Amino acid sequence: MSRPAAIVFDQASVAYGRVPALEQVHGTVHQGEIVALVGPNGAGKSTLIKALLGLVPVASGSISVLGRPPALARRQVAYVPQADTLDPDFPVSVAQVVLMGRYRRIGWLRPPGRADRDAAAEALAAVGLAHRAADRFGTLSGGQRQRVLLARAIAAQPAALLLDEPFNGVDAVSQEALLATIRALAAGGAAVVVSTHDLGLAQLTCDGICLLNRHQFGFGPPGEVLTPDLLRAAYGGAALELGDRGLIVARS
Amino acid sequence: MILFSSLGDGYVWRALLEVVIVGVLCGAVGVHVVLRRLSFLTMALTHATFPGVVIATMLGLGLVLGAGLFGVLLVAVVAALTGPRGAEHGRETSSVTAVVLSGGFALGMALMSTQEGFSRDLTAFLVGSVLTVQPSDLVVSAVTTAVVLGVLAALRKELHLAAFDPGAFAAAGYPARRLDLVLLLALEATVVTSLPAVGTIMAVALIVGPAATARLWCSRTATMTAMAIVVGVAAGVIGLAVSEQWNVAAGGAIVLSVAAFFVASLVLQSLPWGEPVAAAVARRKSAGRPTYSG
Repeated sequence: MSRPAAIVFDQASVAYGRVPALEQVHGTVHQGEIVALVGPNGAGKSTLIKALLGLVPVASGSISVLGRPPALARRQVAYVPQADTLDPDFPVSVAQVVLMGRYRRIGWLRPPGRADRDAAAEALAAVGLAHRAADRFGTLSGGQRQRVLLARAIAAQPAALLLDEPFNGVDAVSQEALLATIRALAAGGAAVVVSTHDLGLAQLTCDGICLLNRHQFGFGPPGEVLTPDLLRAAYGGAALELGDRGLIVARS
Repeated sequence: MILFSSLGDGYVWRALLEVVIVGVLCGAVGVHVVLRRLSFLTMALTHATFPGVVIATMLGLGLVLGAGLFGVLLVAVVAALTGPRGAEHGRETSSVTAVVLSGGFALGMALMSTQEGFSRDLTAFLVGSVLTVQPSDLVVSAVTTAVVLGVLAALRKELHLAAFDPGAFAAAGYPARRLDLVLLLALEATVVTSLPAVGTIMAVALIVGPAATARLWCSRTATMTAMAIVVGVAAGVIGLAVSEQWNVAAGGAIVLSVAAFFVASLVLQSLPWGEPVAAAVARRKSAGRPTYSG
């Protein structure tokens, strides 16, 4: 891969206080690449995303985001949380949520300008929800809300995009829209890290896989990481053999 | 109405002005309290400010000044005890809050019991005494309101994002703790300012009530803020009128008006046609050009 590195994990371990959450992550996400974080529940996928945002300290080794420590790269990194962690009754319109992606760029005290509104409108159009701009955020379906949060991230025009389980409980239409938008962003040069339970989706759509369960079991192209041996090692009892046809991973 | 016929008396004018100012302040601050689910913390702050009033009286300081200084101390204690933001790392906030609430109130009662002569005056600060508001109180209220509204307006983008999505707010690299602290200070300033009108105990009703009422009807934070302010002012004026008309305690009448607004809204919303009405209101508000305003 000749493209420049965007995110570099160098034998990185992450800990909450003294309790190690995730150890020995080692690999590189290049610009324009989509890398999936996969592993069972509690494997440390969300923790790794928090470490990439500088919200959890790196205990040993190092993580570099866009050539800097994670906490110093935040302005060029956009984060997409799971839509169902947000209060659906909050009095905010879809357009306002997307505009929030511009706030850091606008800065303190200043109101959003025309360029910000245009960028927000364009981002909302990119996820196919321009017609819902005036609706209250909570009136949208779970999948649509996830798309709005992705639009908010796009509005920030980030160099790296981090998504936490964006496909959970999302309908097929929204999943397609999410995937198309993420691919477009990667094609534009952004590095994308997405945590997911969906191994099939990860295999089909991602350039790289980081397989985790408290430590790293593999980091590389899907064909090299999503192998029966590695999956069995990472998922333990949740992996079911299907004779010579392969392996099923049960969602825990 | 007796309220209007008695406006010739200076004290009624002052009371009216005070409830209008406090209604605006409490309505605006209450929106942030309700959206961030800080009602319980607000209750703790109002109760724990009470010993500040007692200490100020004992030391002969100005009551609002004493309560204000004590309030700042209190905010610092709450901020220190709850630790880093978020339930994940910090202590469970509601337990800390509950202890601060009851502890502060108990301290006030204990101090008050040692000062027999003051008991009557201090009771006024538990339930308020808007009819004895002095011109100096009005100045304090007006200045506090101007400052707090200015801060809320200046930080509205950041406060909105932090309330809606604290995770993304922290992820964007904002100083979440510092913003929380600013909001806490604004809240404590509001508690201290509304003290002469409704007292420490009932201030929470005037802060949370109008915003909670507006929350039931509004689908935008801006409209919610406007409605909360209107309800806060209306409840103050209605309460004062009721108090003058039937000679009941003004603080109690104001808080009962707030409660009436809230309960009436709840009932209207739960009626079969309540939902469509709320939806129609929301539709009318969001009709036309999509608004990208913050």
